[in-house]
Amino acid sequence: MQVLASGTGEFKPPNPDEMRSWVREHKVRAPVDKVMTEHEAVSRFVDDGDYMAYDMNIAARGPVSLYREIIRQKKRDLWIAAKFSWADTTLLVAGGCVNKVDVGWMETGAIINNALREDRLKFIEWTNGALSYRLLAGALGVPFLPMRYVGGTDVFEKSGAKLVEDPYTGQPIVLVPALNPDVGLIHVHECDAFGNARIYGAGVAPREIAMASRKLIISTEQIIGNDEIRRNPQRTTIPYYLVDAVVLAPFGGYPGSVPGRYVADAENILEFAFAQIQGTLDQYLEKYIFSVASHEEMLDKRVGAAKLLRLTQEETVREGYQ
Amino acid sequence: MTELTFTDLEQNICTIANMIEEDKLYFVQMAGPPLFAILLAKRMRTPEVGFLVEEGAIAPSPSFPLPRMMLGAARSHYRSVAWEGMNIVDAHAALGYVDWGILSAVQIDKFGNFNSTFLGKDYDHPDRRFGGPGGANEIASCCWGTIIMTKLEKRKFVERVDFVSSPGYIDGSPGAREKVGLPANTGPYCVVTERALFGFDEKTHMMRLDAIAPWITLDEVLERMDFKPLIAEPLGVMLPPTEEELTIIRAEIDPGGYTLNRGEWLTVTV
Repeated sequence: MQVLASGTGEFKPPNPDEMRSWVREHKVRAPVDKVMTEHEAVSRFVDDGDYMAYDMNIAARGPVSLYREIIRQKKRDLWIAAKFSWADTTLLVAGGCVNKVDVGWMETGAIINNALREDRLKFIEWTNGALSYRLLAGALGVPFLPMRYVGGTDVFEKSGAKLVEDPYTGQPIVLVPALNPDVGLIHVHECDAFGNARIYGAGVAPREIAMASRKLIISTEQIIGNDEIRRNPQRTTIPYYLVDAVVLAPFGGYPGSVPGRYVADAENILEFAFAQIQGTLDQYLEKYIFSVASHEEMLDKRVGAAKLLRLTQEETVREGYQ
Repeated sequence: MTELTFTDLEQNICTIANMIEEDKLYFVQMAGPPLFAILLAKRMRTPEVGFLVEEGAIAPSPSFPLPRMMLGAARSHYRSVAWEGMNIVDAHAALGYVDWGILSAVQIDKFGNFNSTFLGKDYDHPDRRFGGPGGANEIASCCWGTIIMTKLEKRKFVERVDFVSSPGYIDGSPGAREKVGLPANTGPYCVVTERALFGFDEKTHMMRLDAIAPWITLDEVLERMDFKPLIAEPLGVMLPPTEEELTIIRAEIDPGGYTLNRGEWLTVTV
């Protein structure tokens, strides 16, 4: 196959056989109870230097309680896939956890701009779709996939994509390398203790992340019985053997929404935004992350039952989410 | 003669809303003016029109008022016909099902290539970094045509954008998009601003000024551009927003004014 052009962006070289060996050696195929605290899940399955992917974002069904635990445990040098991301990147960069970002889309304020200026942060440009598609290749166990976009732009130049002559049609086509994250984080509506998980509503790429990631942490609004999963298998988004840890995290998407369960807390999101503008994000991190030992304590001491009840009541759309 | 007060974003929303056709399928950038344009059309003229959003909701009928954090919210995805994921809806566009993409741009050149990544000279050290291509690249690549909205300013209509995040007609040469792997016979269709409306010449793929607002002159439009576009003859006249459109935007679609208040306020007599 003739390579017509190559982008210059850094990427982890795809290696499907290495992924297979890793799965064979590390993934537990027995249906065992994987419920653990967020502290245990993050300390066991997130390592400094890992490539990390997550589904959705701080606005909706993001694994935000897990981000906070990652910041609390001072994980360092993560490389993240910021596809359809939002203030997620800002939060993790402010927490000092991230030094490399594959960009699809994200919120960019003083934190990101300063980190770039001071060379504390390196960007590699992709698109939301290209990162989801790279995860699809990773999920399929193949080294790359052809696709119909990214070509003809500076994104191509800054990414790790290639333009080749398609051996079947003879036409030029863009290839992107498979992405197999070291660790994936997905927040779900409900799952059983083994990790069989249900997501309701639209989602960016939960199945792709679950299949492509070496280690997978699921945080969940609710734990349900395995018999309930088996009574309605059509509802299962992620089967148990892909999952390494199950963390019970009601309001785990806070301050974002989990569609069908609760709305986003606009006050908290504005508090975060103003803290960034005023240069006081350290205080925000202290208040919501470092001064509390867990997600549960944060909800109890910093948010409170009255607000959680209100956010739940304000979610007036339930159709399709149960 | 009546006096009307509206923002540049409201003008763009109304202009695009009037272009929406019920027998076409749209792909819209979520959570901002492109979404509001199709919602205004749905509310006023084309209730059954279908649209996709990149996080995978297919043909939603959003429940108003939309929440302040509308990205991915249950109200935004209310009564869709399907909830899928990004790769599925992008594939629908790659297959040719999606007629029009509706997007907004930070900076655009005369061939419709546009920037939503950064301003400055050095990618690694931008003067100002923006969110990135997001889903706009796939929409601009794979929909049959793209409707791009922005503001008419010299720093936005430039000879060369600082970074091409999403493709227009590349260098304008015949088959330029096909040569880099993009689907054949696709590309930007028009650029909508509050003061002027542009199309693209079929042969040269150069941006062409098609219409201007009734309250501005041709010279004033050209002064707000860094390059000189082709100019259609005769030059058309844009329609200002109507009272009814503005009322629906302000009272129903964006009652909090969260998105629209950021625009430039214009008061004109029409």
